Amino acid sequence: MELLNVQQEEKELLEALKEAIVEIDSERAKEIAKKIVNQKFDPLWAIKYSIAEAAKIVGNRFEDGEIYLPHLVMAGDIMEEVGAILEKNIPSEQIQRKKRIVIATVQGDVHSVGKNLVAVMLRAGGFEVHDLGVDVMSTTIIQKAKEINADMIALSSLLTTTMPYQKEVIDDLISMGIREKFKVMIGGGPVTREYAESIGADGYGKDAVEAVEEAKKLLG
Amino acid sequence: MRLSFWEILKRSKEGPILEEKEFDLLIFKKTQELQKKYGIKYDPNNPLDLEGTLSDRIYQAGWELFLDIGTYCTTTKRVIRVSEEELRHEIEACPESIWLGQGEDRVQMRHRDVEGEQEPIVIAGIQTAPFSDEEMMFIISKGCAMDRCIDGIWGGILLKIDGKYEVVAGTPSEIFQYKKTAEILRKAINAAGRPGMIIINNAPTSTATIAMFDEERGLRRTDYMEVTGISELKVSYDDLNRTSFALAYGVPIHGSHSATIGGFSATPEGAAITAVAGSFQLIAVQKAESFRCGVIDSRIKSRVTRAQLWAAGSAIQGLNRNTKLIVDGNIGDHPAAGPGTKQYFYEAAAGFIVSTVMGGHSTEGTRKFVVGNICNYGTPLESRWMGEICKGAVGMTRKEADRIVKYLLSKYEDKLKNAPEGETFEKLYDQETLKPLPHYQQMYEEVKEEFKQIGFKFKEA
Repeated sequence: MELLNVQQEEKELLEALKEAIVEIDSERAKEIAKKIVNQKFDPLWAIKYSIAEAAKIVGNRFEDGEIYLPHLVMAGDIMEEVGAILEKNIPSEQIQRKKRIVIATVQGDVHSVGKNLVAVMLRAGGFEVHDLGVDVMSTTIIQKAKEINADMIALSSLLTTTMPYQKEVIDDLISMGIREKFKVMIGGGPVTREYAESIGADGYGKDAVEAVEEAKKLLG
Repeated sequence: MRLSFWEILKRSKEGPILEEKEFDLLIFKKTQELQKKYGIKYDPNNPLDLEGTLSDRIYQAGWELFLDIGTYCTTTKRVIRVSEEELRHEIEACPESIWLGQGEDRVQMRHRDVEGEQEPIVIAGIQTAPFSDEEMMFIISKGCAMDRCIDGIWGGILLKIDGKYEVVAGTPSEIFQYKKTAEILRKAINAAGRPGMIIINNAPTSTATIAMFDEERGLRRTDYMEVTGISELKVSYDDLNRTSFALAYGVPIHGSHSATIGGFSATPEGAAITAVAGSFQLIAVQKAESFRCGVIDSRIKSRVTRAQLWAAGSAIQGLNRNTKLIVDGNIGDHPAAGPGTKQYFYEAAAGFIVSTVMGGHSTEGTRKFVVGNICNYGTPLESRWMGEICKGAVGMTRKEADRIVKYLLSKYEDKLKNAPEGETFEKLYDQETLKPLPHYQQMYEEVKEEFKQIGFKFKEA
């Protein structure tokens, strides 16, 4: 994204905000965000440019092995904090609602590493992620998706004997007559794209990077 | 005297409350701090710590990490802390050896020294993988058990009851079917002529795992109860249920925990430190008498990347140089490549050599990292290889191991992300004779010859 028709001073602040997020400097990022607001620059630019570009850089660095999961978590937190400061100063009708994803490791399965990675990468990718944790019942996942009006449900399973719970969520959505309300994406060690198709999932991610691409494709 | 398990349970209900995310980030912050404090630096050119002094520092850092942040209980959202004095007592009170198995198949699992001559215990079998039916699980397990270079076998999963009803974790089907797998394992070792051999299996839930214990038809007090810690430095009440049952029933507890490169430990250095801390969790919180000190990489589906070999190897070495605990290494258990490929043999061997030379046993079975729901994805030949490598590496120096491991890394390191899938049992074995098909036998012999050429000394059968 290019910063066209933006004043030099504003441009410098937007770049500085991006850098502060990438460097995981929370205090500096918040300070610059406040400065952008106080100087009456358009906070939408900061969201569309600084946060979005920082998310891309952080994601690429993670993919290249330059940074690790904790860095992603911390960068995600900063993006949320900065986003909150900026959004307070944007008329509500101009705020574009982030796509919401409910993510969980299904019932009977306590594997968290892969699911955590996907959750953090999705957050860094600009989604609003509600992570319900591990060993979560299908009904709890659906209830949360309904409650927050989610756009997608993402389900992880690392065990052959817990994969049926991914199907259970889809089957329950169908029987409740709300299947069309949510995209469903699945993943996890033993899960394949063929399996995802066989149970009627909308998407599949073989790893965190692919999951983010798939989510973007499905949710636009 | 060991710290009472009931005291641990009390602490899980009364310890400080913490958000899980805060705990995760504490692991990161503390491991980063400790790697600087103790001068711990991973050098990819040296995948093995040849002197042991770096491993000693990793041990000290792991000690500090565990005492400082403790174990997170995911059920109660509280932190379980153990004092330095309690941890010291716990380590002193842990046995230096335990007996497993029965009769002629009984074996002693002892503390092993780095480069030690003590025999490593090898429990092979196609660990926790799905089998198509009872007959196939019996045949493959029997084939594994027949091999005298291994001391025990792991079981797997039967995906359907009566060939049509799906088995789902946490439902009645899981208990029924896991009990069945334990019965099949027992029948298989009887048929192999090794009725006292160790058999192990681990179900997703504690309920089904506990149900497998049955002195006549299932797992016995002379086998062991597998207890797992959640990655990283966490437990749930479901994990602690296994400990509770094992203490009441009187079966040895074997723990397993994996630190994660790319997880909250972040770096290989961080993962090595957390692997040591996770080992302390297994003995102090989960009451293990032997334990697997493991490292995984969140980005690569194999346990034998260069960084993993270094991190796990150094953590195992640190534990064995500084304690008399019974450490399980088993690094080569989950190759990226499938059975029926040369890469499988290379990957598995690299891990098992490092594990054995650093003083580890190998009791966690072997199979391709990701098997999905493909059934019968392994053969007895991989179990034999595991046994041959672990027993052959006894007495090897770290320097010799380093040379061989570097050679092996050159064979597979750049192929981990697109590793060959391999074949299932049906395409690699003659089901009647329980022998490898000629093409697989030839591949195995070629690899074995290659190993002899590079100086690996197999023990005579």
